[in-house]
Amino acid sequence: MKSDLKSLDELSRREFVASAAKACLGVGLLPMAGSYVHTPVEALQPGPRPANARHIIYLYMSGGMTHMDTFAPNPDADKETYQGPVSPIATSADGVFLSENLPRTAQHMHNAAVIRTMMTSQGAHMQGNYLMHTSYQMRGTIAHPTFGSWIAKMSGPINSTIPMNVAINGRSGSSGFLESKYGPLPIGNPNAGLANSMAADYLDQTRFDGRLAMAQKMNAGFLDTYDQKQVRAYTDLYNDAIKLMRSEDLKAFDVASEPDSMKDLYGRTAFGQGCLLARRLVENKVRYIEVTRGGWDTHSNNFEAVANNCNDLDRGLSALLLDLEARGLLQDTMIVLVSEFGRTPRINGGNGRDHWPYGFSAFLAGGGIKGGTVYGKMDKVGRNPAEGKFVDPASLNATIGYAMGLPLNDVQYSPSGRPFKVAHDGEPVMDVLSV
Amino acid sequence: MLCLFSVVYCRGEESFRTFTTADGKSFPFRVLSFEGQEFYFEDRNGKQYKVNYKQFSPTDQKYLIDTAQNGKIPEGDPRKLNSAKTDSVMDSTEETSSEEKPEGVPTAEDDRRLKAPPKKTPKLRPGSFFAYKPVKLGQDPTLAEEKKGGSMPKSGEPIDFTSHVLPILEDRCFSCHQEPYDKNGRTIQPKAGLALNTYELVMKGNLDATVVTAGDVEDSYLHEVLTLDEDDDMFMPPKGGPLTPEQIDIIKRWIKEGAKPKAGASATADASAGISFHDHIFPILEERCLDCHGEPYVKNGRTIHPKAGLALNTYEAVLKGNLDGEIVARGNHEESTLYVVITLDPDDSELMPPKGDPLTPEEIELFKKWIDEGAKENPSDFFEKPKEKVAVSLTSTADKKTALVDLLGKQVSKLSPVKLKAASETGALVTPLSEKHNMVRAEFSSGPSLIENKAVQALSSIQSNISHLDLSRTAVNDSVITMVTKMKNLTWLGLRNTKITDNGVKALKALQFLRFLNLSGTQVTDSSIKELSQMKDLEEIYLWNTKVSESGVETLRKSLPEAKIIWFPEVVQTASVE
Repeated sequence: MKSDLKSLDELSRREFVASAAKACLGVGLLPMAGSYVHTPVEALQPGPRPANARHIIYLYMSGGMTHMDTFAPNPDADKETYQGPVSPIATSADGVFLSENLPRTAQHMHNAAVIRTMMTSQGAHMQGNYLMHTSYQMRGTIAHPTFGSWIAKMSGPINSTIPMNVAINGRSGSSGFLESKYGPLPIGNPNAGLANSMAADYLDQTRFDGRLAMAQKMNAGFLDTYDQKQVRAYTDLYNDAIKLMRSEDLKAFDVASEPDSMKDLYGRTAFGQGCLLARRLVENKVRYIEVTRGGWDTHSNNFEAVANNCNDLDRGLSALLLDLEARGLLQDTMIVLVSEFGRTPRINGGNGRDHWPYGFSAFLAGGGIKGGTVYGKMDKVGRNPAEGKFVDPASLNATIGYAMGLPLNDVQYSPSGRPFKVAHDGEPVMDVLSV
Repeated sequence: MLCLFSVVYCRGEESFRTFTTADGKSFPFRVLSFEGQEFYFEDRNGKQYKVNYKQFSPTDQKYLIDTAQNGKIPEGDPRKLNSAKTDSVMDSTEETSSEEKPEGVPTAEDDRRLKAPPKKTPKLRPGSFFAYKPVKLGQDPTLAEEKKGGSMPKSGEPIDFTSHVLPILEDRCFSCHQEPYDKNGRTIQPKAGLALNTYELVMKGNLDATVVTAGDVEDSYLHEVLTLDEDDDMFMPPKGGPLTPEQIDIIKRWIKEGAKPKAGASATADASAGISFHDHIFPILEERCLDCHGEPYVKNGRTIHPKAGLALNTYEAVLKGNLDGEIVARGNHEESTLYVVITLDPDDSELMPPKGDPLTPEEIELFKKWIDEGAKENPSDFFEKPKEKVAVSLTSTADKKTALVDLLGKQVSKLSPVKLKAASETGALVTPLSEKHNMVRAEFSSGPSLIENKAVQALSSIQSNISHLDLSRTAVNDSVITMVTKMKNLTWLGLRNTKITDNGVKALKALQFLRFLNLSGTQVTDSSIKELSQMKDLEEIYLWNTKVSESGVETLRKSLPEAKIIWFPEVVQTASVE
């Protein structure tokens, strides 16, 4: 083969490579860059069930959030060695108790549900994070798409200008084997807005268009030779970015325009402002927004650290619930708060708690969720469920997917032909769903 | 292994021993019976042989003579003996059958024609542990019992093809009339092109004609050839003598009772009494579907769930469907997923069952009839087909929002793609709400501040199909309400952060199905409270960030006690997204 190639003249060699590339990948047209055109969107097909939730705000507590000091205080557990100084408080929902670290969230429990018997097979941060986000275990042979990427792909865009999957303050996972446009759009600092999205001052519209046209002209030859999906995706990326830059939807990323009272309501921390940005994005009909908050890996000095973290968490979460409800968006939006695993019920030597993958908590609120419900209860040592059954991360994702109307039983194939399901083998927890 | 035990527990059955022939070859055989100098043996695979006793070594010969003379083995062809010995009813005719038959003893040549001769069932002592047939978990033991011996039917019992007729065919007919098989590189076809292995093949007949006419014994050639004169060319079976009168009678009764595949089950046409799930539908499911869509079971420590989470092993399971919904729409086969997937194109990847041939037209017809009759468990169950048009009464549908939308959606027609495209011309996103009905949601999500009243005009062509309309953050004003009120089936209206005022709200009374109204961020004042109080069917109203005061909200709460009215004291001075 090699010797044959060598004997061809240069033009033929190039033709061969080009045609080989063409044969492997798809063909594409160069779209028009230039003025912003409001393209009509094709009707999205409904799923097998009506979707109760159209948007997800996923609040990810990275590091392994202690469950006993936040969402699952256990009055049966021994106060000295297990539960510690944190006591339960009543909430707006009858019979539901949260820890005293979350007083503001307690006033919204009538719209929320807690699953107290989450269990994961992974006790390490990276693996637990991966399992929670993708519903599959981490393995070297393939990168699985995160649940957000699945949602972005399968639910389809409502707003065609903004990416459907946004990750604020940190990003867990990627689009895996799905197209990279479904992967999370990272926002490192919510106050800074969308990075690199402002046109320079000295560039007015005509000059910008001229530059774009020149770039297009230079690319034309390359695009003709290599009419490939990957190449086309690259030009699409530019065009999508320009479309976003020029549209008014870009203003969704501008948290600074919010009045001060709103910013204070959420709390002027990275997490609080991230939640505020999430609310703005839901107003712009983004499908999946993830806000990460770290600092939960409290192997020592657990109670002080958790109290500080909860101050931030409580403020942001309750503001989000209040704000969305006031605007009438809560019935379409599901808020999920979860961590990769919990922490030991028994307090360790450093007045801290270590990793504990049994019986941690997941908080769900909003669209598709039956308010005021608690699923499951752990025994007094926190190892086995006293009521209910263990719920694994795949089942939590299946619960979210069920409310969104995703096809949970359909097998999807990666480009290499391997079969995957949206939420793996998870079964939705019907007790917390409102249908 | 069974044979080892059979030494202890069986009567009249010899154990395996090594026989050595005169030329030194040795075989592990078990002697079954004898006739004159010919002995019948069985090897460990169940294959039977007939060998003259003189071919063995002297010790073997002595053994053989000993067993024959001392009555340890019966006399006669073992295959004949097998078919005649299973039940007491037949025992009395054992002597007669062996006397009547001519000496048509099958030779070793005949044995070679059989690809896999039937395994001889060992004679077990009554009460023996091995006399019990193992039954799968969940299977009815009495059914398994019936299948065991290929027994004679008790008097009055209907003839079952599998347990009564098939053993006869297996015993006397399969040697010539079985499905084509390969032997030594050649395909051996059944004699006269007629295979009799299975019910379908018996009913199919051969290229010339069928051999069985259900219900008509005279017309059934199968019965005729059994009762011909023995000298006749077409007499069946040509070797080994005629069938016993009992066997011919079984076949005759089977044909007379309708040549059914199962006792009591109806064949293709007998669905006049109404289709019952257990008799007509379940056998098809059991045969073609339960391999993949059975109950969850544990294998190698893992729980194997049915494919697509859909179990079909009981009536309840079939009606329940799976997480994605139900597969049977009672009374309407076109909307039933179960019917749709079995009638897809053969090259469609969703065709069920995916392995083997598609269901026969008769089976598909059974499903269609069953679903149209109401998918009943018993034909005598009551099912009333829902009427096409359901009159919507405002009081009766106060239960859930989805129920209302479902009812409304069934009254309007489906939107064509052309209409949907035309409605989306001005930037609206029109999405169907559900597969089950034809209502849509229309919203303006991208660049909403560019949307003005005239953009909503494009939706007028589909106005009766719109149940959810979201005009939030657009640049519409009160004049758009005239267009909105023309959407008679509107249940959900979002006007958040628009320039709507009390004037626009006044006109909303005309929407009799409106249940959800979002006015947050608008300029409505307490003047609208009176109008809103008259809309008694409203279920959710959002009034935060408007000019409505706390007392106005209180008045509204009193007028609409069932409604959810969301209002908070102002948290922000201005609307959020500019």
